[in-house]
Amino acid sequence: MIRRNKKIIGKQNRFFFIIPVVFVILGDEQPSVNFFKPFLPTDEREIIDSITQNGTERKRGEERLFNRYAYFIKEAIYKYSLSPEDAFDLYSDTIISAIEKIAAGSFEGRSSLKTWLYSIFHNKYVDLMRKKATNKNSIHQTSSISDLLLQVSDQTKSIIQKLVDKTDGEVLRQRLGQIGDNCRKLLLLWADGYSDKEIAGQMDYKTSDVVKTSRLRCLEKLKQLYRST
Amino acid sequence: MENHFEYIDGWFHETLSADDARQFEQKIADDPEFAEEVAFYLSAVQALKDEVRREKKETFRQLLAQNPSITNENREGKVTRMRVYQVAAAAAVLVCVFFAWYLFFSKSATPVEMADNYMSEKFKTLPVTMGTERDSIQDGFQLYNEGKYDSSLQQFETIIQKDTGNYLAKKYTGIVYLRLGNYDKAIEYFSQLEKYSLFANPAIFYHALTLMKRNQPGDKQKAKQLLQQVVDEDLEGKDVAQQWLKKW
Repeated sequence: MIRRNKKIIGKQNRFFFIIPVVFVILGDEQPSVNFFKPFLPTDEREIIDSITQNGTERKRGEERLFNRYAYFIKEAIYKYSLSPEDAFDLYSDTIISAIEKIAAGSFEGRSSLKTWLYSIFHNKYVDLMRKKATNKNSIHQTSSISDLLLQVSDQTKSIIQKLVDKTDGEVLRQRLGQIGDNCRKLLLLWADGYSDKEIAGQMDYKTSDVVKTSRLRCLEKLKQLYRST
Repeated sequence: MENHFEYIDGWFHETLSADDARQFEQKIADDPEFAEEVAFYLSAVQALKDEVRREKKETFRQLLAQNPSITNENREGKVTRMRVYQVAAAAAVLVCVFFAWYLFFSKSATPVEMADNYMSEKFKTLPVTMGTERDSIQDGFQLYNEGKYDSSLQQFETIIQKDTGNYLAKKYTGIVYLRLGNYDKAIEYFSQLEKYSLFANPAIFYHALTLMKRNQPGDKQKAKQLLQQVVDEDLEGKDVAQQWLKKW
């Protein structure tokens, strides 16, 4: 049967049999994201997996990420002629931003972790230069209120923004240190992106509903402390 | 007041009912106290996020202080990543090597393979004409095409007995012998045909073909000489002979 088929294909027709195979191998069809992900180096995948976990595992992942590419700091000093402090700030902000994105599932693995991280690093360097040019010295990343108010109309945003601008951020930070360790830890975990359920697991609360109630009480406490100023 | 925070928290976590969610913006516009609560909630979130970042940065600062050498070296280690495009390039190289191999070896097909291919293409069937009157040669063709080679041979040999100078009968007798693997008899008939002075006589070409197929010691060399003769003297089968000599 095989011999018969060989005869049917014929010598001159074998090229037409092989060529489609070549196109399948070299075709311009872009593989999907999931196709690339398995090709990340094992240690990069481990770091990403750790950061998407909870508690100490996440903390370990964050530290591994920082240590892994810390040589960027030296590059920033020599390539970008930054001071050691600015280079550290630049790199730390890059890592913090990367951690937030990885934890939120924004890292798709289209490139290696290093390439992706370096693009963030470079963009932050450009921001820093721009801010320095406009005499805004701080490159410390702060979350934007407008990011949280994306869903509301411009009019509502304007009302809230004016009220937020009146808030004394420094006093608020001081009061945060006075609300008690438990409240502070709970609120910081929440601000770090942990869900109520995850916080319940970490802080030994019985349920996520208990965490939510405690969280709102802590916010209320913070408000009372702030307003009592 | 706590209920305000629950409501605000529900709005930002998108857990409110559709009605409550719709009233949120209106309430901000209508109720200054509520608007202040929303502003405080957001300020607190911002302050908390800043604090989280400050703490992380402090942790990183300590890590660096504990081990300043981490900035000196690329700690990535050995890259084990299998890049997709590298794999594709390797596959492309393999395919090219395969093609090169194929083209090289396809040029140097053996004489037996060339003979086999020719026979399976040209001698699979013999040309039966569509007519009302049938002659003995056509009957031989018919038997051949039905796979009755012995009967076909008998038919052609009978014709030769009656007409010893019948060129066609001798030609097809030689072909049937070749098909049956009786190469000596085939050569005997093709040698007889060589004596015929015809406008298109494939006898020498068939003789070479039979030698290629027989493949006994000296046959290849003799076949090559005959093919060269076909080419040089512009005899029947010249085109095929030229191709074969290129691949020889």
